[in-house]
Amino acid sequence: MSWWCSARGTPWDWSWQPYPGVWLCVLLLVAGYAASVRHAKRSGAPEDAHPWSFAAGVIAFWLAADWPVGPLGTGYLASVHTVQYIVFSMLVPPLLLYGLPTALFRSLAGNPWFAPLVQLLTRPLMAFVIFNTVLVATHLPAVVDGLKVTQVGAFAVDMAWLGAGLLFWWQVLGRVAELDPLPIPGRIVFVLLNVFIPTVPAAFLTFADYPIYAVYELAPRMSHLSAAEDQQLAGLIMKIVGGFTLFGTASVLFFRWYAKEEGEIF
Amino acid sequence: MTNTSCIPSWAPRWVTGIRGSRLLLLTSLLLVGVACRAPEGGGPLRGTPLGVLTPKPDILLTTTDGAAFDFPRATAGYVTLLFFGYTHCPDICPVHMANLAAVLHKLPSTVAGRVKVIMVTVDPERDTPERLRAWLDNFDRDFIGLTGSVADITAMQQAVRLPPAVKEGEGDTYLVGHAAYVLAFTTDDQPPVAYPSGTRQSDWAHDLPQLARRMERAR
Repeated sequence: MSWWCSARGTPWDWSWQPYPGVWLCVLLLVAGYAASVRHAKRSGAPEDAHPWSFAAGVIAFWLAADWPVGPLGTGYLASVHTVQYIVFSMLVPPLLLYGLPTALFRSLAGNPWFAPLVQLLTRPLMAFVIFNTVLVATHLPAVVDGLKVTQVGAFAVDMAWLGAGLLFWWQVLGRVAELDPLPIPGRIVFVLLNVFIPTVPAAFLTFADYPIYAVYELAPRMSHLSAAEDQQLAGLIMKIVGGFTLFGTASVLFFRWYAKEEGEIF
Repeated sequence: MTNTSCIPSWAPRWVTGIRGSRLLLLTSLLLVGVACRAPEGGGPLRGTPLGVLTPKPDILLTTTDGAAFDFPRATAGYVTLLFFGYTHCPDICPVHMANLAAVLHKLPSTVAGRVKVIMVTVDPERDTPERLRAWLDNFDRDFIGLTGSVADITAMQQAVRLPPAVKEGEGDTYLVGHAAYVLAFTTDDQPPVAYPSGTRQSDWAHDLPQLARRMERAR
Protein backbone atom coordinates (compact mmCIF):
# COMPACT_ATOMS: atom_id res chain seq x y z
CA MET A 1 0.00 0.00 0.00
CA SER A 2 1.23 3.51 -0.86
CA TRP A 3 0.54 6.49 1.41
CA TRP A 4 0.78 8.98 -1.50
CA CYS A 5 0.44 8.54 -5.26
CA SER A 6 3.62 8.06 -7.27
CA ALA A 7 4.45 6.89 -10.79
CA ARG A 8 4.97 3.13 -10.76
CA GLY A 9 5.13 2.25 -14.46
CA THR A 10 2.68 -0.62 -14.05
CA PRO A 11 -0.30 -1.01 -16.37
CA TRP A 12 -3.30 1.04 -15.26
CA ASP A 13 -6.40 -0.69 -13.99
CA TRP A 14 -9.51 0.73 -12.44
CA SER A 15 -9.22 -1.15 -9.15
CA TRP A 16 -9.44 1.23 -6.22
CA GLN A 17 -6.26 1.98 -4.26
CA PRO A 18 -6.14 3.54 -0.78
CA TYR A 19 -3.85 6.52 -0.15
CA PRO A 20 -3.83 7.11 3.63
CA GLY A 21 -1.54 10.14 3.32
CA VAL A 22 -4.26 11.99 1.43
CA TRP A 23 -6.83 11.14 4.10
CA LEU A 24 -4.42 12.30 6.81
CA CYS A 25 -3.99 15.65 5.04
CA VAL A 26 -7.77 16.03 4.76
CA LEU A 27 -8.16 15.25 8.46
CA LEU A 28 -5.43 17.75 9.36
CA LEU A 29 -7.12 20.45 7.29
CA VAL A 30 -10.50 19.81 8.94
CA ALA A 31 -8.98 19.63 12.43
CA GLY A 32 -7.01 22.83 11.81
CA TYR A 33 -10.13 24.59 10.63
CA ALA A 34 -12.12 23.49 13.69
CA ALA A 35 -9.32 24.63 15.99
CA SER A 36 -9.00 28.02 14.31
CA VAL A 37 -12.76 28.66 14.47
CA ARG A 38 -12.82 27.64 18.16
CA HIS A 39 -9.86 29.91 18.87
CA ALA A 40 -11.54 32.82 17.04
CA LYS A 41 -14.76 32.35 19.05
CA ARG A 42 -12.87 32.15 22.33
CA SER A 43 -10.96 35.33 21.60
CA GLY A 44 -14.17 37.22 20.73
CA ALA A 45 -13.02 37.91 17.15
CA PRO A 46 -15.69 38.66 14.54
CA GLU A 47 -17.21 35.52 13.03
CA ASP A 48 -15.97 35.84 9.46
CA ALA A 49 -15.18 32.20 8.62
CA HIS A 50 -16.90 30.70 5.58
CA PRO A 51 -17.31 26.99 6.31
CA TRP A 52 -18.77 26.13 2.90
CA SER A 53 -15.81 27.69 1.15
CA PHE A 54 -13.37 25.79 3.33
CA ALA A 55 -15.32 22.55 2.84
CA ALA A 56 -15.28 23.05 -0.93
CA GLY A 57 -11.51 23.58 -0.80
CA VAL A 58 -10.97 20.42 1.23
CA ILE A 59 -13.18 18.37 -1.09
CA ALA A 60 -11.35 19.72 -4.17
CA PHE A 61 -8.01 18.85 -2.54
CA TRP A 62 -9.22 15.36 -1.70
CA LEU A 63 -10.56 14.67 -5.19
CA ALA A 64 -7.38 15.92 -6.89
CA ALA A 65 -5.02 14.00 -4.61
CA ASP A 66 -6.83 10.70 -4.09
CA TRP A 67 -7.61 7.79 -6.42
CA PRO A 68 -8.19 7.90 -9.38
CA VAL A 69 -7.12 11.48 -10.23
CA GLY A 70 -4.00 11.33 -8.04
CA PRO A 71 -2.35 8.25 -9.55
CA LEU A 72 -3.49 9.16 -13.08
CA GLY A 73 -1.89 12.59 -12.83
CA THR A 74 1.22 11.33 -11.12
CA GLY A 75 2.09 8.46 -13.39
CA TYR A 76 -0.02 8.17 -16.51
CA LEU A 77 -1.37 11.36 -18.09
CA ALA A 78 0.30 14.75 -18.34
CA SER A 79 -3.12 16.29 -18.98
CA VAL A 80 -4.40 15.07 -15.61
CA HIS A 81 -1.16 16.28 -14.02
CA THR A 82 -2.00 19.77 -15.34
CA VAL A 83 -5.55 19.54 -14.01
CA GLN A 84 -4.05 18.68 -10.62
CA TYR A 85 -1.75 21.68 -10.87
CA ILE A 86 -4.66 24.01 -11.56
CA VAL A 87 -6.75 22.54 -8.74
CA PHE A 88 -3.90 22.64 -6.20
CA SER A 89 -2.68 26.11 -7.07
CA MET A 90 -5.74 27.96 -8.36
CA LEU A 91 -8.84 26.37 -6.86
CA VAL A 92 -8.03 24.94 -3.45
CA PRO A 93 -5.99 27.89 -2.04
CA PRO A 94 -8.57 30.66 -2.51
CA LEU A 95 -11.32 28.42 -1.14
CA LEU A 96 -9.27 27.56 1.95
CA LEU A 97 -8.10 31.13 2.54
CA TYR A 98 -11.61 32.53 2.15
CA GLY A 99 -12.99 29.87 4.46
CA LEU A 100 -10.66 30.44 7.40
CA PRO A 101 -11.40 33.04 10.10
CA THR A 102 -9.25 36.15 9.78
CA ALA A 103 -8.42 35.85 13.49
CA LEU A 104 -6.11 33.00 12.53
CA PHE A 105 -4.09 35.23 10.21
CA ARG A 106 -4.02 38.03 12.76
CA SER A 107 -2.71 35.72 15.45
CA LEU A 108 -0.03 34.37 13.08
CA ALA A 109 1.03 37.89 12.13
CA GLY A 110 1.12 38.88 15.82
CA ASN A 111 3.09 35.80 16.91
CA PRO A 112 6.76 36.77 17.46
CA TRP A 113 7.89 33.43 15.99
CA PHE A 114 5.83 33.60 12.80
CA ALA A 115 5.63 37.36 12.23
CA PRO A 116 8.94 37.75 10.31
CA LEU A 117 8.07 34.84 8.05
CA VAL A 118 4.56 36.17 7.46
CA GLN A 119 6.00 39.62 6.71
CA LEU A 120 8.41 38.12 4.19
CA LEU A 121 6.08 35.71 2.43
CA THR A 122 3.16 38.10 2.13
CA ARG A 123 5.13 40.59 0.04
CA PRO A 124 3.53 40.69 -3.41
CA LEU A 125 6.82 40.35 -5.25
CA MET A 126 7.84 37.42 -3.08
CA ALA A 127 4.48 35.75 -3.76
CA PHE A 128 4.85 36.43 -7.48
CA VAL A 129 8.34 34.97 -7.61
CA ILE A 130 7.58 31.91 -5.49
CA PHE A 131 4.36 31.14 -7.38
CA ASN A 132 6.03 31.35 -10.76
CA THR A 133 9.26 29.68 -9.71
CA VAL A 134 7.29 26.73 -8.35
CA LEU A 135 5.24 26.65 -11.54
CA VAL A 136 8.32 26.60 -13.77
CA ALA A 137 10.47 24.35 -11.57
CA THR A 138 7.78 21.71 -11.08
CA HIS A 139 7.31 21.48 -14.84
CA LEU A 140 10.98 20.97 -15.67
CA PRO A 141 11.37 17.50 -17.20
CA ALA A 142 14.18 16.53 -14.82
CA VAL A 143 12.09 17.56 -11.80
CA VAL A 144 8.92 15.83 -12.99
CA ASP A 145 10.75 12.64 -13.98
CA GLY A 146 12.85 12.68 -10.81
CA LEU A 147 10.17 13.47 -8.24
CA LYS A 148 7.01 11.83 -9.54
CA VAL A 149 8.49 8.36 -9.21
CA THR A 150 8.73 8.53 -5.43
CA GLN A 151 5.95 9.11 -2.93
CA VAL A 152 7.96 11.76 -1.09
CA GLY A 153 8.79 13.54 -4.34
CA ALA A 154 5.21 13.49 -5.60
CA PHE A 155 4.00 14.71 -2.20
CA ALA A 156 6.57 17.53 -2.27
CA VAL A 157 5.37 18.67 -5.70
CA ASP A 158 1.72 18.68 -4.59
CA MET A 159 2.55 20.61 -1.43
CA ALA A 160 4.72 23.08 -3.35
CA TRP A 161 1.76 23.80 -5.65
CA LEU A 162 -0.56 24.23 -2.69
CA GLY A 163 1.87 26.41 -0.72
CA ALA A 164 2.69 28.64 -3.69
CA GLY A 165 -1.01 28.92 -4.44
CA LEU A 166 -1.76 30.04 -0.87
CA LEU A 167 0.84 32.82 -1.15
CA PHE A 168 -0.50 33.89 -4.53
CA TRP A 169 -4.16 33.97 -3.54
CA TRP A 170 -3.36 35.70 -0.27
CA GLN A 171 -2.50 38.76 -2.37
CA VAL A 172 -5.67 38.49 -4.39
CA LEU A 173 -8.06 38.03 -1.48
CA GLY A 174 -6.38 40.57 0.83
CA ARG A 175 -8.60 39.60 3.73
CA VAL A 176 -6.70 41.23 6.61
CA ALA A 177 -6.47 45.02 6.47
CA GLU A 178 -3.73 45.12 9.14
CA LEU A 179 -1.42 43.10 6.90
CA ASP A 180 -1.27 45.88 4.35
CA PRO A 181 -3.04 44.21 1.39
CA LEU A 182 -2.57 45.52 -2.12
CA PRO A 183 -5.19 48.02 -3.26
CA ILE A 184 -7.63 46.47 -5.75
CA PRO A 185 -5.96 47.98 -8.85
CA GLY A 186 -2.67 46.54 -7.59
CA ARG A 187 -4.30 43.12 -7.23
CA ILE A 188 -5.58 43.32 -10.80
CA VAL A 189 -2.08 44.08 -12.06
CA PHE A 190 -0.68 41.31 -9.85
CA VAL A 191 -3.09 38.73 -11.28
CA LEU A 192 -2.55 39.82 -14.88
CA LEU A 193 1.23 39.67 -14.52
CA ASN A 194 0.85 36.03 -13.59
CA VAL A 195 -0.96 35.24 -16.84
CA PHE A 196 2.22 35.38 -18.86
CA ILE A 197 4.69 33.06 -17.17
CA PRO A 198 2.48 29.94 -17.35
CA THR A 199 2.62 30.49 -21.10
CA VAL A 200 6.24 29.27 -21.07
CA PRO A 201 5.63 25.69 -19.85
CA ALA A 202 2.27 25.64 -21.66
CA ALA A 203 4.03 26.46 -24.95
CA PHE A 204 6.67 23.80 -24.39
CA LEU A 205 3.97 21.23 -23.66
CA THR A 206 1.86 22.19 -26.65
CA PHE A 207 4.52 22.72 -29.29
CA ALA A 208 7.35 20.32 -28.34
CA ASP A 209 8.23 17.91 -31.15
CA TYR A 210 8.36 14.95 -28.80
CA PRO A 211 7.08 14.16 -25.30
CA ILE A 212 9.19 16.01 -22.76
CA TYR A 213 8.37 13.92 -19.67
CA ALA A 214 9.69 10.35 -19.61
CA VAL A 215 7.28 9.43 -16.84
CA TYR A 216 4.22 10.02 -19.07
CA GLU A 217 5.83 8.97 -22.35
CA LEU A 218 6.95 5.58 -21.07
CA ALA A 219 3.91 4.83 -18.91
CA PRO A 220 1.69 2.06 -20.24
CA ARG A 221 -1.07 3.83 -22.18
CA MET A 222 -4.39 3.91 -20.35
CA SER A 223 -6.35 5.92 -22.91
CA HIS A 224 -6.55 6.36 -26.65
CA LEU A 225 -4.46 9.51 -26.39
CA SER A 226 -0.88 9.12 -27.56
CA ALA A 227 1.85 10.56 -25.34
CA ALA A 228 2.18 13.56 -27.67
CA GLU A 229 -1.58 14.23 -27.79
CA ASP A 230 -1.79 13.95 -24.02
CA GLN A 231 1.04 16.45 -23.66
CA GLN A 232 -0.58 18.88 -26.11
CA LEU A 233 -3.82 18.63 -24.15
CA ALA A 234 -1.86 19.37 -20.98
CA GLY A 235 -0.45 22.53 -22.54
CA LEU A 236 -3.87 23.68 -23.68
CA ILE A 237 -5.40 23.04 -20.26
CA MET A 238 -2.65 25.03 -18.59
CA LYS A 239 -3.00 27.93 -20.99
CA ILE A 240 -6.76 28.02 -21.47
CA VAL A 241 -8.12 26.94 -18.08
CA GLY A 242 -5.31 28.63 -16.15
CA GLY A 243 -5.62 31.75 -18.29
CA PHE A 244 -9.40 31.93 -17.91
CA THR A 245 -9.10 31.50 -14.15
CA LEU A 246 -6.69 34.39 -13.87
CA PHE A 247 -8.50 36.65 -16.36
CA GLY A 248 -11.79 35.82 -14.63
CA THR A 249 -10.30 36.75 -11.27
CA ALA A 250 -8.97 40.02 -12.68
CA SER A 251 -12.41 40.77 -14.12
CA VAL A 252 -14.14 40.13 -10.81
CA LEU A 253 -11.64 42.39 -9.07
CA PHE A 254 -12.16 45.07 -11.67
CA PHE A 255 -15.93 45.08 -11.29
CA ARG A 256 -15.62 45.10 -7.50
CA TRP A 257 -13.29 48.06 -7.77
CA TYR A 258 -15.59 49.78 -10.25
CA ALA A 259 -18.63 49.25 -7.99
CA LYS A 260 -16.70 50.55 -5.00
CA GLU A 261 -15.59 53.67 -6.88
CA GLU A 262 -19.12 54.24 -8.16
CA GLY A 263 -20.45 53.90 -4.64
CA GLU A 264 -18.02 56.47 -3.36
CA ILE A 265 -18.83 58.95 -6.14
CA PHE A 266 -22.60 58.70 -5.91
CA MET B 1 19.56 50.63 9.24
CA THR B 2 21.85 50.98 6.20
CA ASN B 3 20.38 50.39 2.78
CA THR B 4 23.10 48.60 0.81
CA SER B 5 21.06 47.90 -2.32
CA CYS B 6 20.65 50.18 -5.31
CA ILE B 7 16.93 50.33 -4.61
CA PRO B 8 16.01 53.50 -2.68
CA SER B 9 14.72 53.09 0.83
CA TRP B 10 11.55 54.95 -0.05
CA ALA B 11 10.58 52.36 -2.64
CA PRO B 12 7.35 50.49 -1.86
CA ARG B 13 7.74 47.37 0.19
CA TRP B 14 6.97 45.09 -2.76
CA VAL B 15 9.86 46.46 -4.81
CA THR B 16 12.63 46.01 -2.28
CA GLY B 17 13.12 42.28 -2.86
CA ILE B 18 13.46 42.57 -6.62
CA ARG B 19 17.10 41.65 -7.27
CA GLY B 20 17.24 38.11 -5.90
CA SER B 21 13.69 37.39 -6.96
CA ARG B 22 14.25 38.45 -10.56
CA LEU B 23 17.41 36.40 -10.76
CA LEU B 24 15.58 33.33 -9.47
CA LEU B 25 12.82 33.78 -12.02
CA LEU B 26 15.15 34.28 -14.97
CA THR B 27 17.21 31.27 -13.94
CA SER B 28 14.09 29.12 -13.84
CA LEU B 29 13.03 30.24 -17.31
CA LEU B 30 16.50 29.53 -18.66
CA LEU B 31 16.42 26.06 -17.13
CA VAL B 32 13.11 25.32 -18.86
CA GLY B 33 14.58 26.36 -22.17
CA VAL B 34 17.62 24.16 -21.70
CA ALA B 35 15.67 21.18 -20.44
CA CYS B 36 13.08 21.28 -23.21
CA ARG B 37 15.44 21.68 -26.15
CA ALA B 38 14.72 19.64 -29.25
CA PRO B 39 16.76 16.47 -29.84
CA GLU B 40 19.86 17.11 -31.91
CA GLY B 41 21.09 14.87 -34.66
CA GLY B 42 24.76 15.06 -33.68
CA GLY B 43 26.70 13.26 -30.98
CA PRO B 44 27.12 9.57 -30.32
CA LEU B 45 24.26 7.14 -30.72
CA ARG B 46 21.96 6.89 -27.72
CA GLY B 47 21.45 3.19 -28.32
CA THR B 48 24.18 0.76 -27.33
CA PRO B 49 26.05 -1.05 -30.13
CA LEU B 50 26.39 -4.73 -29.30
CA GLY B 51 29.97 -5.71 -28.68
CA VAL B 52 29.99 -8.39 -31.35
CA LEU B 53 29.08 -8.47 -34.99
CA THR B 54 25.70 -10.20 -35.24
CA PRO B 55 24.37 -10.86 -38.71
CA LYS B 56 20.70 -10.55 -39.52
CA PRO B 57 18.92 -13.79 -38.60
CA ASP B 58 18.48 -16.14 -41.53
CA ILE B 59 15.45 -18.06 -40.32
CA LEU B 60 12.30 -18.27 -42.37
CA LEU B 61 9.21 -16.91 -40.60
CA THR B 62 5.76 -15.98 -41.93
CA THR B 63 4.23 -12.53 -42.37
CA THR B 64 0.69 -11.70 -41.27
CA ASP B 65 -0.34 -12.23 -44.90
CA GLY B 66 0.91 -15.79 -44.72
CA ALA B 67 3.89 -15.19 -46.98
CA ALA B 68 7.36 -16.52 -46.21
CA PHE B 69 9.70 -13.77 -45.04
CA ASP B 70 13.33 -14.05 -46.05
CA PHE B 71 14.70 -11.72 -43.40
CA PRO B 72 18.14 -10.80 -44.82
CA ARG B 73 16.84 -10.30 -48.35
CA ALA B 74 13.62 -8.48 -47.42
CA THR B 75 15.45 -6.01 -45.22
CA ALA B 76 18.54 -5.43 -47.34
CA GLY B 77 19.28 -1.72 -47.71
CA TYR B 78 17.04 -0.70 -44.79
CA VAL B 79 17.65 0.23 -41.21
CA THR B 80 15.88 -2.76 -39.70
CA LEU B 81 14.40 -2.49 -36.22
CA LEU B 82 13.75 -5.97 -34.87
CA PHE B 83 11.66 -6.51 -31.77
CA PHE B 84 10.32 -9.63 -30.10
CA GLY B 85 7.01 -9.01 -28.35
CA TYR B 86 3.37 -10.00 -28.14
CA THR B 87 0.03 -8.33 -28.48
CA HIS B 88 -1.22 -9.12 -24.95
CA CYS B 89 1.83 -7.36 -23.50
CA PRO B 90 0.56 -4.83 -20.97
CA ASP B 91 3.47 -2.42 -20.93
CA ILE B 92 6.74 -2.59 -22.91
CA CYS B 93 5.57 -3.74 -26.37
CA PRO B 94 2.85 -1.13 -26.95
CA VAL B 95 5.10 1.65 -25.62
CA HIS B 96 7.98 0.64 -27.93
CA MET B 97 5.67 0.39 -30.95
CA ALA B 98 3.84 3.64 -30.17
CA ASN B 99 7.09 5.57 -29.72
CA LEU B 100 8.58 4.19 -32.93
CA ALA B 101 5.42 4.97 -34.90
CA ALA B 102 5.22 8.50 -33.48
CA VAL B 103 8.82 9.26 -34.46
CA LEU B 104 8.62 7.68 -37.91
CA HIS B 105 5.52 9.76 -38.66
CA LYS B 106 7.48 12.92 -37.83
CA LEU B 107 10.81 12.19 -39.46
CA PRO B 108 11.32 13.23 -43.09
CA SER B 109 10.47 10.52 -45.60
CA THR B 110 14.13 10.35 -46.61
CA VAL B 111 14.78 8.84 -43.18
CA ALA B 112 11.47 7.15 -42.35
CA GLY B 113 11.39 5.53 -45.80
CA ARG B 114 14.69 3.85 -45.07
CA VAL B 115 13.46 2.16 -41.87
CA LYS B 116 11.64 -1.17 -41.52
CA VAL B 117 10.07 -2.13 -38.20
CA ILE B 118 9.64 -5.85 -37.64
CA MET B 119 7.92 -7.40 -34.67
CA VAL B 120 8.23 -11.12 -34.17
CA THR B 121 5.58 -12.49 -31.87
CA VAL B 122 6.81 -14.51 -28.91
CA ASP B 123 3.26 -15.70 -28.30
CA PRO B 124 2.31 -17.46 -31.54
CA GLU B 125 -0.38 -19.41 -29.68
CA ARG B 126 -2.57 -16.35 -29.08
CA ASP B 127 -1.14 -13.98 -31.71
CA THR B 128 -2.89 -15.21 -34.81
CA PRO B 129 -1.77 -13.45 -37.99
CA GLU B 130 -5.06 -11.49 -38.02
CA ARG B 131 -4.68 -10.38 -34.42
CA LEU B 132 -1.03 -9.44 -34.90
CA ARG B 133 -1.88 -7.44 -38.04
CA ALA B 134 -4.75 -5.60 -36.34
CA TRP B 135 -2.59 -4.80 -33.31
CA LEU B 136 0.29 -3.46 -35.42
CA ASP B 137 -2.14 -1.42 -37.53
CA ASN B 138 -2.97 0.53 -34.38
CA PHE B 139 0.53 1.95 -34.64
CA ASP B 140 1.55 1.84 -38.30
CA ARG B 141 0.27 -0.16 -41.25
CA ASP B 142 3.82 -0.52 -42.56
CA PHE B 143 5.07 -2.34 -39.46
CA ILE B 144 5.81 -5.95 -40.35
CA GLY B 145 4.52 -8.72 -38.10
CA LEU B 146 6.14 -12.16 -38.20
CA THR B 147 5.09 -15.44 -36.69
CA GLY B 148 6.17 -19.04 -36.87
CA SER B 149 6.71 -22.13 -34.79
CA VAL B 150 7.95 -21.74 -31.22
CA ALA B 151 11.15 -23.51 -32.26
CA ASP B 152 11.82 -21.10 -35.13
CA ILE B 153 11.05 -18.04 -33.01
CA THR B 154 13.34 -19.32 -30.26
CA ALA B 155 16.07 -19.98 -32.80
CA MET B 156 15.67 -16.46 -34.16
CA GLN B 157 16.07 -14.91 -30.69
CA GLN B 158 19.16 -16.99 -30.07
CA ALA B 159 20.56 -16.00 -33.47
CA VAL B 160 20.52 -12.35 -32.43
CA ARG B 161 21.90 -13.20 -28.97
CA LEU B 162 18.69 -12.53 -27.04
CA PRO B 163 17.39 -14.89 -24.36
CA PRO B 164 14.36 -16.88 -25.52
CA ALA B 165 10.96 -15.70 -24.28
CA VAL B 166 9.39 -17.58 -21.38
CA LYS B 167 5.68 -18.19 -20.74
CA GLU B 168 4.69 -16.97 -17.27
CA GLY B 169 1.44 -18.21 -15.76
CA GLU B 170 -1.34 -20.49 -16.90
CA GLY B 171 -4.77 -20.21 -18.48
CA ASP B 172 -5.76 -17.60 -21.04
CA THR B 173 -4.27 -14.62 -19.25
CA TYR B 174 -0.65 -15.69 -19.04
CA LEU B 175 2.19 -13.24 -19.62
CA VAL B 176 5.34 -13.81 -21.63
CA GLY B 177 8.71 -12.74 -20.29
CA HIS B 178 10.82 -11.51 -23.18
CA ALA B 179 13.81 -9.35 -23.97
CA ALA B 180 12.74 -5.71 -24.06
CA TYR B 181 15.33 -4.63 -26.61
CA VAL B 182 14.74 -3.31 -30.08
CA LEU B 183 17.74 -4.26 -32.21
CA ALA B 184 18.68 -1.90 -35.02
CA PHE B 185 20.49 -3.58 -37.89
CA THR B 186 22.25 -1.44 -40.46
CA THR B 187 25.05 -2.72 -42.64
CA ASP B 188 26.57 -6.16 -42.43
CA ASP B 189 29.89 -4.91 -41.12
CA GLN B 190 28.39 -3.07 -38.12
CA PRO B 191 27.12 -4.72 -34.95
CA PRO B 192 23.42 -4.06 -34.27
CA VAL B 193 22.48 -1.27 -31.87
CA ALA B 194 20.32 -2.19 -28.87
CA TYR B 195 17.52 0.04 -27.57
CA PRO B 196 16.16 -1.08 -24.20
CA SER B 197 12.78 -0.50 -22.62
CA GLY B 198 12.74 3.17 -21.67
CA THR B 199 14.06 4.37 -25.02
CA ARG B 200 12.34 7.67 -25.67
CA GLN B 201 10.99 9.24 -28.83
CA SER B 202 13.71 11.88 -28.64
CA ASP B 203 16.30 9.05 -28.61
CA TRP B 204 14.83 7.52 -31.75
CA ALA B 205 14.61 10.93 -33.40
CA HIS B 206 18.27 11.42 -32.60
CA ASP B 207 19.52 8.01 -33.72
CA LEU B 208 17.41 7.01 -36.73
CA PRO B 209 18.77 9.73 -39.04
CA GLN B 210 22.31 8.68 -38.07
CA LEU B 211 21.55 5.03 -38.73
CA ALA B 212 19.95 5.94 -42.08
CA ARG B 213 23.05 7.96 -43.01
CA ARG B 214 25.18 4.94 -42.14
CA MET B 215 23.12 2.91 -44.63
CA GLU B 216 23.55 5.60 -47.28
CA ARG B 217 27.31 5.67 -46.84
CA ALA B 218 27.48 1.90 -47.19
CA ARG B 219 25.70 1.96 -50.56
